[in-house]
Amino acid sequence: MTLMEKSLGTVLAEPTISGGPGSVVIDNVSIEFKAAGVLAVSNTSLNVASGEFVSIVGPSGCGKTTLLNLAAGLLPPDVASGTVLVGGKPPVRGNRDIAYMLARDALCPWRTALGNAELGAEIRGVPAEVRRARALDLLDKVSLKGFENAYPKALSQGMRQRVALARTFGLDSPILLMDEPFGALDAQTKLQLEDVLLGLWQRERRTIVFITHDLSEAVSMSDRVIVMSARPGRIIADVPINLGRPRSVRALQKDPAYHELYAYVWTKLEEGLSQ
Amino acid sequence: MNEATWSSGRIWITRLVVVVAFFSFWEWISVTRRVDPILIGAPSGILHFMYQEVFVTHSLLEDFAYTLTATLLAFGLGSVGGILTGMLFVMRPNIEAVLSPLLMALNSMPRIALAPLFLIWFGLGIGSKIALGFSLTYFIVLTNTVAGGRGVNPDHITLAHTLGASGSQIFRKFTLPSAVPVIFNGLRLGLVFALLGVIGGEILASEHGLGGALQLLAASFKTSGVFAVIIFLAMVGVGITFIMSWLENRLLKWR
Repeated sequence: MTLMEKSLGTVLAEPTISGGPGSVVIDNVSIEFKAAGVLAVSNTSLNVASGEFVSIVGPSGCGKTTLLNLAAGLLPPDVASGTVLVGGKPPVRGNRDIAYMLARDALCPWRTALGNAELGAEIRGVPAEVRRARALDLLDKVSLKGFENAYPKALSQGMRQRVALARTFGLDSPILLMDEPFGALDAQTKLQLEDVLLGLWQRERRTIVFITHDLSEAVSMSDRVIVMSARPGRIIADVPINLGRPRSVRALQKDPAYHELYAYVWTKLEEGLSQ
Repeated sequence: MNEATWSSGRIWITRLVVVVAFFSFWEWISVTRRVDPILIGAPSGILHFMYQEVFVTHSLLEDFAYTLTATLLAFGLGSVGGILTGMLFVMRPNIEAVLSPLLMALNSMPRIALAPLFLIWFGLGIGSKIALGFSLTYFIVLTNTVAGGRGVNPDHITLAHTLGASGSQIFRKFTLPSAVPVIFNGLRLGLVFALLGVIGGEILASEHGLGGALQLLAASFKTSGVFAVIIFLAMVGVGITFIMSWLENRLLKWR
């Protein structure tokens, strides 16, 4: 047994049915789409503490997005069994505690970058001056100063996803659910945006549940990486990432500890595939 | 296809040469009676007619005013009706399920066949022309509005749901703006068809308007006059397209 395995172990979180603001509790949850006869997620428990950055990795179709959609209240009510508490409350669509980010940017082409960055807060009824000031600040933080009045068609893929980040962080929700937000980007742009995301997160330390199939992305950004098996999805490893903060994803590429963790998570993922 | 691109000046000059050559040839075969002028008129006769009717008697302008009024009213009523019905269909699919086949059956009727009925109902004046133009515009705008309303990006709807958007917010902030470009295509076509309907109605029976003038001139074999009205109508058509494109570029500059 290597030193690494001793220090990491595979600790499945003890589900305590409580959870305060900013926490996500998933206790013994199964999700079955009866019409299609598909068991998407099987007996899964996961605790995400307030302020934690947790990534969920797993093969395609393992139910990780389904789990996220359950927490966001996007699934029909009768498909899931078990307990889910988001900020201490059962999941409900449009929960103000949640900001959701999709794989595609979902920008409105008829709105400028600023208009898009404001959109979430606008729908949730934040007063115009407040949301505008916040959107301008965020566009600055994602390095889009000067592009406030540009329409999405004039922005590159990476810039559009930066606007989507600004829209997500423009909400005051304590929990951010992200469904492969950088999945469609090229490797270079992805590294840049991962650092942008870490920068935004380190300012406020909100809870992030981050879905990805990219192991390096998961290991380099998270406090914990959850590994799921192929369908029906189960949690097969819960790996703490003991790398320092604040981090730079680009600087980590040269850190041996990062590569060791990456290899460990990769082994776990492979075990899940071969089962 | 390795032809060098001409400058816009050269293209314009060549275009002018083509047009002048065409009309010169037309004038020549008409004056030398190689073809009977009763059949083809003559460019000089067309110019003379236009000058007379536009600057001396103003009758062409008066007819144009009638036609334009009827067209704009038919277009306005038809597009407002089409957009409202289309939006209702998008928001209430059950209503669409009930009415859509009936409306499609109406739309597949040859509209000009309804003209005699419209004459009985609305008389010889502007009413029957508006009705005919409306009956064309309404369905075109309706079809485009429904298509536009259906074309909303599913990601936008997911995002709206996670934000807790109400039904009316989803409609105002996502469905409507994403439908506007498609609706605009419908409006552009709708305006052309409103003009078509009005002219058609005027040709059948009318007291005023360009269609009526066309009918009168043709019945008395004033072929140059017929051509003059047709050319005038073509210019109106070009003008309509130009204005709609200008409006579209201004309103939809995000595209």
